Amino acid sequence: MNDSSVTLDSADAPVVAANEPIISIDDLSFSYDLGKTNTLRNISLDIPAGKVTAFIGPSGCGKSTLLRCLNRMNDLVDTAKVTTGKINILGQDINAPDVEAIELRKHIGMVFQKYNPFPKSIYENVAYGLRVQGINNKSVLDQAVEESLQKSALWSEVKDRLNTSALGLSGGQQQRLCIARTIAVKPQIVLMDEPCSALDPIATARIEELIAELQQDFTIVIVTHNMQQATRVSDRTAFFYLGELIEYDETTNIFGNPKIKQTEDYVSGRFG
Amino acid sequence: MAHILKNYDEELSALKDSVVEMGTMSLTAVEKAIKGLADGNRDLCYDVIDEDEKIDQREKDVDEQGMSILMRFNPVASDLRNVLSSINICRSLERIGDHAVNIAKRARKVLKAGDLDEVRLIDPLYLEARKIVSAALTAYSDVDEEMALAVIKMDHKIDELHKALGKSLSHKIAEGNGNTESLLNVIFISRSIERIGDLAVNIAEDIVFMTSAEDIRHQ
Repeated sequence: MNDSSVTLDSADAPVVAANEPIISIDDLSFSYDLGKTNTLRNISLDIPAGKVTAFIGPSGCGKSTLLRCLNRMNDLVDTAKVTTGKINILGQDINAPDVEAIELRKHIGMVFQKYNPFPKSIYENVAYGLRVQGINNKSVLDQAVEESLQKSALWSEVKDRLNTSALGLSGGQQQRLCIARTIAVKPQIVLMDEPCSALDPIATARIEELIAELQQDFTIVIVTHNMQQATRVSDRTAFFYLGELIEYDETTNIFGNPKIKQTEDYVSGRFG
Repeated sequence: MAHILKNYDEELSALKDSVVEMGTMSLTAVEKAIKGLADGNRDLCYDVIDEDEKIDQREKDVDEQGMSILMRFNPVASDLRNVLSSINICRSLERIGDHAVNIAKRARKVLKAGDLDEVRLIDPLYLEARKIVSAALTAYSDVDEEMALAVIKMDHKIDELHKALGKSLSHKIAEGNGNTESLLNVIFISRSIERIGDLAVNIAEDIVFMTSAEDIRHQ
């Protein structure tokens, strides 16, 4: 990163009050084929800090694409392009030429649909991000690993086997480990792309409980196909259809009294 | 637009049919009780008392249907309001059935005590109550918010008629004209009819919540 680049370091980042937008998306259109067709069209929405925001909609509606725009995961696709609009995170245009994706992702962690621990020990999985940042002091790492595992509600289950392989954990535990790995580097935002779709109901309930806990320290954006999950975990919900944002409101309104008929039809199971 | 799950639509439709049917049962019970009083037919009054069990059973059936839909289909938005309102409405209908029983029991006592001219004074009040309950049931069946709002306004007339009747009968009692016990029973019948009007208003409020998500109770 050169000297003129924007670091978005926690110390430098502006403090955002609860309920204030930490992510501001303005007229965003996005294409996977260099602008020939837009997968996302003219999306505008503000995501408040310290809240859980859910993206819902049928397959292909663009909700995961938008999530991946938030930490520039789509940069990995050669033909991907933001065609109009911008995304401001903590007041910074994340697609500005001086913002580096890797630096950005230190502040915006991501949890994926399929849990993906590294073939390393439980301890090393959690410490990985910190080691990449050059932190090798054992007591700092020990403290960060314990704190992250505590926050991801896994500590009591793994504290006596931190040096065993992460791959020996159950699916639900592996997903919580991935969350611990994500939060170990203290991001301000955690993106979750269908984090429970590969888990059984008990493991799902534990992750949902964890989301409620994490909300105190992080802003969470979650993509889910499970609408009951959206009603349980999120404060606000955005409904997408065919690349457009149809409705965005308090979750209780989206599932209790949506203003747009398309939203009502989708959430009540009339199309999907 | 229909739901993707066909049986979801079928069960919502069956729930509605049950509530409408229960409404008809409750309204019929009130009609029978009043007819028993007007015609001097005590058998009709006994029928109302005996048949109340069927209304109570229907209330349980509607609860079960509603719970099954909540459990199996996790309704949201207008579907959720529909199920919640239907369960609330059946609660009001059950209480209308109870008032029909109260009327039947009082009517039986009045008839046992002999002829009472004041019985016919109930008619205008009853006809208004009948109209308001019918309108509430139609509003539910047709999902007609406008009609539901009209029902709420109709209740004022019932309140006025009830008040006037109570005053008139109280005077008679105070003057010592006629059978005091029977006159008191007619006042209680009038009170039950007035309560039936209030329950029709409750039903209308549930319909407004069902259609527009607006909670207009206690305003």
